[in-house]
Amino acid sequence: MIQNTFQRKIIIFFLVTLLHASHTNALDLKAYGFIQPESSIYINGDGRHGQDNYNTSLFGKGTFISYLQNGDAKFTISAIGRFDQSDDQLRYLDFQKFKYEYYFDDVTLKVGNEIVFWGVNETFNIVDIINQSNLAENISGTKKLGQPMASISYSRDYGTFDVYLMPYFRERPFSGKEGRPRLLFEVDKNSITYESSAKKRKIDFALRYSTVIDDLDIGLSHFYGNNRTPVLSPNPLTLKFDTHYPVLSQTGVDIQATKGPWLYKLETVSAKEGSERHLGAAGGIEYTYYGIRNTQSDLGVIVEYAFDDRNDNPFNNEGIIGLRWSVNDIKSSSLLAGYLFDMRGNSNRFQTEFEQRITDDLKLFLDLSLNGSIDEIDFTHQFKEDSQITIKIAKYF
Amino acid sequence: MKNIILVLIILIGTKLSIAESLEEKGYNIAKSSYESGRGFTDMISDQLMILIDPKGNKVTREISAKSLENLDPYDGDKNITYFETPKDVEGTVMLSHTHINEDDDQWLYLPALTRVKRISSSNKSGSFMGSEVAFEDFSAGDYRKYKWKYIGEEIYEGDLCYVLESYPTYENSGYTKRVGLTDKLLRARKIDFYDRKGELLKTVFFEDYNLYGDKIWMADSMKVENHQNKNATIFQWQNRKLNVGLDKKDFEKSSLMRLAD
Repeated sequence: MIQNTFQRKIIIFFLVTLLHASHTNALDLKAYGFIQPESSIYINGDGRHGQDNYNTSLFGKGTFISYLQNGDAKFTISAIGRFDQSDDQLRYLDFQKFKYEYYFDDVTLKVGNEIVFWGVNETFNIVDIINQSNLAENISGTKKLGQPMASISYSRDYGTFDVYLMPYFRERPFSGKEGRPRLLFEVDKNSITYESSAKKRKIDFALRYSTVIDDLDIGLSHFYGNNRTPVLSPNPLTLKFDTHYPVLSQTGVDIQATKGPWLYKLETVSAKEGSERHLGAAGGIEYTYYGIRNTQSDLGVIVEYAFDDRNDNPFNNEGIIGLRWSVNDIKSSSLLAGYLFDMRGNSNRFQTEFEQRITDDLKLFLDLSLNGSIDEIDFTHQFKEDSQITIKIAKYF
Repeated sequence: MKNIILVLIILIGTKLSIAESLEEKGYNIAKSSYESGRGFTDMISDQLMILIDPKGNKVTREISAKSLENLDPYDGDKNITYFETPKDVEGTVMLSHTHINEDDDQWLYLPALTRVKRISSSNKSGSFMGSEVAFEDFSAGDYRKYKWKYIGEEIYEGDLCYVLESYPTYENSGYTKRVGLTDKLLRARKIDFYDRKGELLKTVFFEDYNLYGDKIWMADSMKVENHQNKNATIFQWQNRKLNVGLDKKDFEKSSLMRLAD
């Protein structure tokens, strides 16, 4: 969605750069992507907001990479898009990456849209903050929006420093009226407020130091800017949610220790929003059994736990037990199954993701999401009747 | 007379101690063979992997790779692998810092997740991309990972070869024993692999040897025949170039993203 002049300016800048660069010899050029029809069945029948028990959607991704200036520079476009049958908030095009990078000896300069991931956990990515989550895509927030930025990275033997300046804020997308799952009320796009007077134009700032010491991967980070997670409050007049984005100052630490088949992971944050400070910690263990029952297949066991000292945070005392089965066959068959549970009450959810290559350029995905018993006071109670089975077939090109 | 016997005993004893044991002889040939393949400094190549099932059905996988030789005799080389096909994994990048008798350090960039993950590398015997090649086979030429024994000599494809037995000394190997043929140019020609039960598992044939940089023989084809599941894998190196000027910085975790999207 090129919905603002800032992004338009950036795109024009890139096209000019690209045209200029095409005079030099492109060292390498790559283009690839996929289109993916999807179909979902909601096994509890029609939704509580009158949504259908069936939905179809078309998702796609395209990536273009060109190395320029004898390989010292790189230009990347990676765009995703979706056209959903029911939810108008799931009809979008997003430039995940639309960036130009220049590599000096120790320094990398980058300008444009980028996805930056911080952290080590499989499920509870509490340190990760640079990119906005697209909650219309899924409620776990793993699908991101490309973040416009200028960044500098400086690498030495003792580690890498990254500095990010983010001149434009992306608001969080939520499911629309016809979306499923969706929140109890619609999110009112005309009622968005910010703590910062610069609103979307606030220049967000982030710093990260990361290093590898033998079997430890360590990251220290700090972020100051508009919180990606807004406060939603129901408006009694409109019967919709009003959205407010406070300013967040967050310091994070993430560590992974890799000891043979064991992975130990920990993420912690100390964050300040307004005058309130909160602490969060999430971590876990992953163990992989290789070559189970004398086959080529591997079975990984993942246990993770998240704690947050805010009582109203939906993930303040949450755990997951997961299994990852990789068959290591020619079809790259794999199954990921997770049992999520809230340790305060007795809410739980079960999710599986199966994937298998059908031919060299076709792949099948089967996702299952089952809501178990969910307490009425639990944040996820509003999605209780949205258990679903989704089948996706990706065609690569 | 006693003195003469004593002298003889001393002489025979000395003679015996000078002669190589079969273990030493095997070790020395393996060491020379390994060293004759060193000095490449760094290397880039495209690799084609053809997976063949017992019915003869074939699928092809393409990767491109970069390697950096580690001159430290107590540590291993560094490698970056970029996956091109199958198309669903296109853009996946793997970085490994190999070590001799401990686990390698490995990172994987997954474009679908847009994140770099540090992964466990203790899965030595696991299959590489569904092929008959195990991860540990990529460092099969490193003499420091095995105990050796010289068995004798044998004619193979018209060339006189040393027959060497070797036994992995690192943890989690899928093999108990290897029996290999190394020719007089110190090139490995063929290796039989025995599984954990001691049964013949597979044979690897090194073929299509070419001389690189006027001094290093490298096999541009490796054929793996699995005797138990009857699958086969052919690994081919193309566009191999040595000494292209890569350095340590190209093989850091932070430089992984230069190859990624």
